[in-house]
Amino acid sequence: MALLEVEDLRVAFGNATAVDGVSFSVEEGRIVGLVGESGCGKSVTSLAVMGLLPKGRGGRRAKAPEPVQAAAAEPAPGAVKAAAAAPQAVPAGGGRRSRGGADVSGRAVFDGTDLLALTPAAMRRRRGKDLAMVFQDPLSSLNPVVPIGRQITEVLERHRGLKGAKANQEAASLLDRVGIPDPVRRLKEYPHQLSGGMRQRVLIAIAVACAPRLLIADEPTTALDVTIQAQILELLKDLVEDEGTALLMITHDLGVVAGMCDEVNVLYSGRVVESAPVRELFARPTHPYTVGLLGSIPKLDLPIHEPLTPIRGSIADVIRWKDGCAFAPRCDRVAEACVDGEPPLIGSAHAHRCVRAEEVA
Amino acid sequence: MSTEPEDVTPQGDAVIPAQRVEEPDLPAAGPALLEVEDLKVHFPIRRGVVVERTVGHVRAVDGVSLSVTQGGTYGLVGESGCGKTTFGRAVLRLEEPTAGRVTLGGDDVTALKGERLRRFRSRMQMVFQDPLGSLNPRHNVDMLLAEPLKVHGVGSKEERRRLAVETLDAVGLPKTVLERFPHEFSGGQRQRLGIARALMLRPDLIVCDEPVSALDVSIQAQVMNLLDEIQGEFGLTYLVIAHDLAVVRHLSDRVGVMYLGRLVEEADSETIYEHPRHPYTKALLSAVPQPDPEKEAARERIILKGDLPSPANPPSGCRFRTRCPWAQDVCAEQEPEWREAAPGHKVACHFDL
Repeated sequence: MALLEVEDLRVAFGNATAVDGVSFSVEEGRIVGLVGESGCGKSVTSLAVMGLLPKGRGGRRAKAPEPVQAAAAEPAPGAVKAAAAAPQAVPAGGGRRSRGGADVSGRAVFDGTDLLALTPAAMRRRRGKDLAMVFQDPLSSLNPVVPIGRQITEVLERHRGLKGAKANQEAASLLDRVGIPDPVRRLKEYPHQLSGGMRQRVLIAIAVACAPRLLIADEPTTALDVTIQAQILELLKDLVEDEGTALLMITHDLGVVAGMCDEVNVLYSGRVVESAPVRELFARPTHPYTVGLLGSIPKLDLPIHEPLTPIRGSIADVIRWKDGCAFAPRCDRVAEACVDGEPPLIGSAHAHRCVRAEEVA
Repeated sequence: MSTEPEDVTPQGDAVIPAQRVEEPDLPAAGPALLEVEDLKVHFPIRRGVVVERTVGHVRAVDGVSLSVTQGGTYGLVGESGCGKTTFGRAVLRLEEPTAGRVTLGGDDVTALKGERLRRFRSRMQMVFQDPLGSLNPRHNVDMLLAEPLKVHGVGSKEERRRLAVETLDAVGLPKTVLERFPHEFSGGQRQRLGIARALMLRPDLIVCDEPVSALDVSIQAQVMNLLDEIQGEFGLTYLVIAHDLAVVRHLSDRVGVMYLGRLVEEADSETIYEHPRHPYTKALLSAVPQPDPEKEAARERIILKGDLPSPANPPSGCRFRTRCPWAQDVCAEQEPEWREAAPGHKVACHFDL
């Protein structure tokens, strides 16, 4: 049993489905990547697991059988319609409408407990202790008017019962652990006094303060320069190696994935389209979206000025998953079969969601 | 653009000075369109409540010289705060240079004033990083594209529209978008509009400041291919400013690496990636994650310690010495000269690494 098992996670904001049935698992001591471009649902997935989404009126724990599939009208077979920018409609069951909140369903089983079924209070006791998160933008995730030392001891007090000098001492050793020089002095400083890389280190220190078993890092290095990115990635890797923490790495950067992850899940339009061990994925990318992503990246060893092979269109060109492959409108190898109903996830160790994978490979 | 034949074998050990035969590279042979000599942009730091005094200067750009060949692409890379954007803006006189000279096709841009400068601007345009922030949200595409022509009094209304349609076609947008507004477009399409607007006056030089960094990977590739295509079509010369080494390498013939307001290395784009000579370039290159797990496992990383020093108070001697893994005593005492380590390959380092 994996440490975290996410099963059929769905998140809808009103009529817009952000996550449309995502399943993956994270084993202890492993680094698992969730990769995709903006709008694919990778961040929403992580926020749902952490219980950080605003609650929709439909309730986070909507356990009722999915009304999604049944309620919608049957699509005209084979109709590839680029519903430009139209969010995928999800009729909320029983007329329940959420305003601004998220309707979350599915399961996220962490060490035997379904996190999505926990009460907010029970989730608060676990968040920061058993599972913790590192966000993309360290400046907006730190409180600007509170010294960083206090922001670290807050976690120590709450989850580990450390107080006063003991907490301060522990906070300093945490800062030292994440590679911040002169930690005792730094404790008194405010976030604006630190550089971007330092701030990200502070966030990591807060996240690992209670030795969580699962760490979720949402684009932890996107806001950073490449040399600082290298420092932070190295730090995260060390933490995983030393403590055996499981790391869920959310990123758009396939380079980061290649260097960090053990397993990868590629997301497109709210679903996993390919999932494989990292070497396998890069050696034999199977879903046309994965292939397209890899072809779009300028590499340091490609001939200069050789045209890249981009994916045509944009993420606004999409069809609903239940009508067919959401990627079909942008896919070069699209055929009738692609828009004939929901494509299943094929395979287990190296799974993909392309009905024509055999033919086009 | 010309792709050099790949008959240069990569050298395994980079510390040994590369014994490579310089082939006559075509881009460098052409005449220079843009020449920048010892450009400096210093921003005063002012303190004081009643009477403001200048207490120091942020040396954003501190003596950069380079030249861009006609029809070529010069890529300027560096991390945030290295002064690359300020440099690009100073070249276009969007920022007033403190010292130095910029010439475009022989005309001294830095000496121009008032009306003559305004007219001259039609020859040099800019593509910005954030396409939404640089397009007026209340103007439709027709107005956005016609504006530069109106400002410079080009053509009649009909001619302006014809030019707009022609340019839209060149950047891959249908003429049906003329009536639409920026918010109706996706990020990639907006960047196409930004490029179309820069093209409207058929400039000689386009400065692209982080042209693809706000875009998703699949869209990045589309825009990079577009920049390549229109370069030949419109006979453009590019100065591409970016932090992403792979993007710069892909677009440029010649690459300059900036650190704390200075160039530390400059060479042809193939050479600089295969035989980087400056420790900073080496570190930058080694820090780029490659989308290939095999290479990632083998990649030798040079992890730089610490952060960028303040450009208001740069380190003595070599500016990179505080983070350089190979720093010696001499690096703190003497500033390394900007020397030609090999034909066409300039570097500012005391050592031959």
